[in-house]
Formats: sequence, structure tokens, C-alpha cells
Amino acid sequence: MMLRVLAVELRKLNRSLAAALAISAPGLIAVFTFFNLLRGKTAQPWDMWMVGATGIWAFFMLPMSVTALTALIAHMEHGPRSWDHLRALPLPRWTLYAAKAVSVLLVLALMSVGVFCLTWAAVKLAVAIKPQLSPTGVFDAPAYWTALGRMYLAATLLLVIQLWIALRWSSFVPGLVVGIGGTFFAVVATSAKIGVFLPWQMPVNMLATESWRLQTALGLGFGGGLVLLALMLWHLSRREVL
Amino acid sequence: MLAVETRDLRRRFGPTLAVDGVSLTVPKGCVYGFMGRNGAGKTTTLKMLLGLIRPEAGTIRIAGRDALADRLGAARCMGALLEAHGFYAHLSGRENLDLSRSLLGLKRSELDRVLDIVGLTPDAGRRVGGYSLGMRQRLGIARALLGSPEVLILDEPTNGLDPDGIADMREFLRTLPARADATVLLSSHLLGEVEQVADRVGIIHQGRLVLEDDLATLRAGQAPQLRLGCDAPDRARAVVLGLGLTPGPDDGRIILAPGADVRETARALNRALVEAGIGVHELAPEARSLEAIYRDITAVYPTPQQEAA
Repeated sequence: MMLRVLAVELRKLNRSLAAALAISAPGLIAVFTFFNLLRGKTAQPWDMWMVGATGIWAFFMLPMSVTALTALIAHMEHGPRSWDHLRALPLPRWTLYAAKAVSVLLVLALMSVGVFCLTWAAVKLAVAIKPQLSPTGVFDAPAYWTALGRMYLAATLLLVIQLWIALRWSSFVPGLVVGIGGTFFAVVATSAKIGVFLPWQMPVNMLATESWRLQTALGLGFGGGLVLLALMLWHLSRREVL
Repeated sequence: MLAVETRDLRRRFGPTLAVDGVSLTVPKGCVYGFMGRNGAGKTTTLKMLLGLIRPEAGTIRIAGRDALADRLGAARCMGALLEAHGFYAHLSGRENLDLSRSLLGLKRSELDRVLDIVGLTPDAGRRVGGYSLGMRQRLGIARALLGSPEVLILDEPTNGLDPDGIADMREFLRTLPARADATVLLSSHLLGEVEQVADRVGIIHQGRLVLEDDLATLRAGQAPQLRLGCDAPDRARAVVLGLGLTPGPDDGRIILAPGADVRETARALNRALVEAGIGVHELAPEARSLEAIYRDITAVYPTPQQEAA
């Protein structure tokens, strides 16, 4: 049953702007990395490019992408006012909302993969133009994948918050306000100690050197996200859409 | 056997009692016209039948199933066309139907069947964004027909259609129970339209079901009337009263006693009018319209403003 609802949810994304969004966010990071490398005078280590790209992803692009993606996926139903039709079907209602959450998680996973692959490709392309800037040191792929994976898991809480708001209100304004506000504080107070408890800063804390920050943000982001997801499914499937 | 049965449904929104003790009885295989002005409580009642809104009190049975205890079971027996169609404009009509078909776990051949019933097969490959309102209504009915539900709930199916679209929809609805082997419960505020397609009607007014009956029974129980056109209405009124007949609220109509012989009364009236020197250019029996019945019934109930006063 759940797979059927999820398959329908993914088919709805066909010819929507989700694909453009999924490509553009990691693509912009890659474009930035490409030109940044070309303007350099001396070769830099791989870590600088890959960790730099994952950092930009974690503290800015990821929260903004989640804000946009959740708004887009919720408005696929708010726009044509299709909730009544969906909720009248002989399906457990929680599956409709769970499918939305899984769709966002899947697209976000693809974007995370995109950050890794497109950044690597951007560096390779820039080096093809200026071979003297070829990165030094080791290309530590497992470490980069681990960081991206942790960021992905730590983003669960902010993703569920954004999705809950986007599904609850038919206007996209509340979701945007919360998303922009959260990202703003994540950017201006990246190193603040309290930031480890701010959902929008949890992904960037996966790059923290202090172990407690990383563990706390990962635990709260992923664990709290799962708890909040259960609450969201309970609330949305019970509430009346008038 | 009843397709839909409710008992004392009640729902309040804040201080407003939107639905107040509504008990519907919809026999299997009929077209039931659920009428009332905008805001009377039609959509709220239909949403309660579909499980979209919880009633504060009352019971709902759909095809014999308790819809409040077994929403999924009842939902399997129903298809609905709601006021908000909820189509994805970037997908084609067939793709939109296919999403609902997949959710319902039906065979792909079901798409051709429902598209054929609503006559939308040639346009099924076009994007819904380019559909006319009439085509969207038909696509909505096709979606409601997926899985051959026993009960079709159509909320204002003629809403927003042009006169040609309304005529097409009327013809379509009239034959729908036979074509789809389903009971049709349709809501509308267009009384003339309901009159032409429904077998049974229910009138909801200020949240209360003020009348429910078979249309034929309703008409038979109403006093017949004569439509009169003459060149001296004031003098004609005196003649009408002299024959012991009752002029209607407007001088053009004469209401007869229930069971009166319409032809004999018309003959006697015509003779009396001509003898009085009044030129008669029209004298014809006339069945009372559903609208007239509706006005008579709802006039008994005060409006909220009158109640407040």
C-alpha cells in the first residue's frame, strides 16, 4: 500500500520543477567551486574544495533547498486543491503524508549525491583548463561521503519541520518565513554554541571538530526528526481540511 | 435497500450550526437531488458522507456499512466529484486518472472503461491545463467511476458550465445510473436542473432537511394550477373568485384544489371569462415546478435575520 502511494507521489513529480531544483542547488555549488578554483594562483588540497562544497551545502543550500522542495511538494496538492479527493480515497491517510516525506528525503538524497559528483566534476573541469591548479593531497572519498551522509541524517528534523508547515498551511509564506529565518540564523551564527540545538544548523555541525557538537546535532537532528515525523503523520491524518 | 442512509447528522462550525439533524434516505439505483441555496449545508453534509468532516452526532451508512466506524470500507463503495477537482494541470487527463487508478489498485483497462462512459477518450492525452470546465467535470466523473463504486457523490456537477455544457451534463446524469450501475447523489442549487434528472429530492435549508420525497409523489401531492393570460386581469380576478377558485400570488396563475378536474375547471373558467367580455389568449394547465415547491417550503422557515429580529 505504502509503496503504491509512494510510486504515485514520485510520478506526480514528473514534469514538475522538482528535477530543476534537484540539479540547480548542487549545480550552483559546483559552478562556484569551478570559478573559485580557476581564480586561484596555486594548487590547493582536495579537502579545501570538497569540504568547502559540503560546508556551503550544509549551512546554506541544504536548508534553502529543503524549504523550496517542501513548498513545491505540498503545493502540488494545495494548488489544485486535491486534498479532499486524496483524503476521500480508501487509503489510510497517514500514507499520503508519509509518501510526501519519503519523496522529499529521496530528492534530498539525490541532491547530496549531486553535491559530491558535481563538485568533483567541477574541479576536474577546471583542472583541465589550468592543469597547474590540480588539487594536492588525497581525495578522501569515504570521508566526504560520511560527512554528506551525516548532514543528510542531521537534516531530518529541519526537513520534517518545513514539510509539516508546508502541508499544514496552503499558503507558501509560513514555510518560506521559517525556512529563510532558520537559514539566516544558521549563516550569521554558524559557530554559536547554541546553534547545535537549532535544526537549521544541525547539518553544518557535522563538520565540527568538537565531537560533542557532532554527536548532539546528529542525534537531535535524526532522532528528533523521526519523532517529529511520527507526530506530523498523526496530526495531519487526523485534522480536518476545511 | 438504501444506498445512503444518515440519521440525525449534526455539525457545528464555531457558533454556526451548519448541519442540524439531517436524515437522508437514498434508495439504491436512483438519482437523488440534494438541493439548497449556497451555504445551506449541502457540501458539509456530503463531506461528512465522504469522511472528510466528522459529524458531532448522528450515523452514516453507505451501502449498508457504518461509515463512521469503517471509513475505508465505506470509501470503497463511493466515488466522488468534489467542487475542487484537484487535477494536476501539468499531466494529461489519462495520467491524472492513472494516478487515482494506481492508488485504488485497479487494472489499467479501467481507464478506457471510464473514459468511454464520459466520452472523453479522444481528449484523454491532452494536458488537463488545456481542458474546458465541462471537460474537467467529465474527467472528475470518470475518476469517481473508477472501480465501479455503488454510490456516486457529485457536488454541484453543473457548476460553472455554459448552457450547452449544462444540457450535456443533464443528459449524461440522467443515464448515469443505468450506464454505471450506481446510485447518484448530486447536490445543486439549480432547482430546474435537479428537477430534470432526479427521481428523489431532498431540500436542505439552514442546515435542516426540510423536505425529502420522490419527485413524482411530491408533484402528485401538489395542487395543480392553471396559467391564465387575458386582456383584463383585474376583471378576470373577480370572475375567478366568483367561480370559487383561488388566484395565485401573481395574477397569471390560478391554484386549484388538490384532485380538482383541471380540464373541466379550465372549460368553465374560459366560458365565464368570455361571457364577461374578457379576451382570453392563454389558458393552460401547469404542473407546479420544483422551484415553486422549494419556495413554498423554505418560506415557512425564517431566515437568520428574521430570527434575530
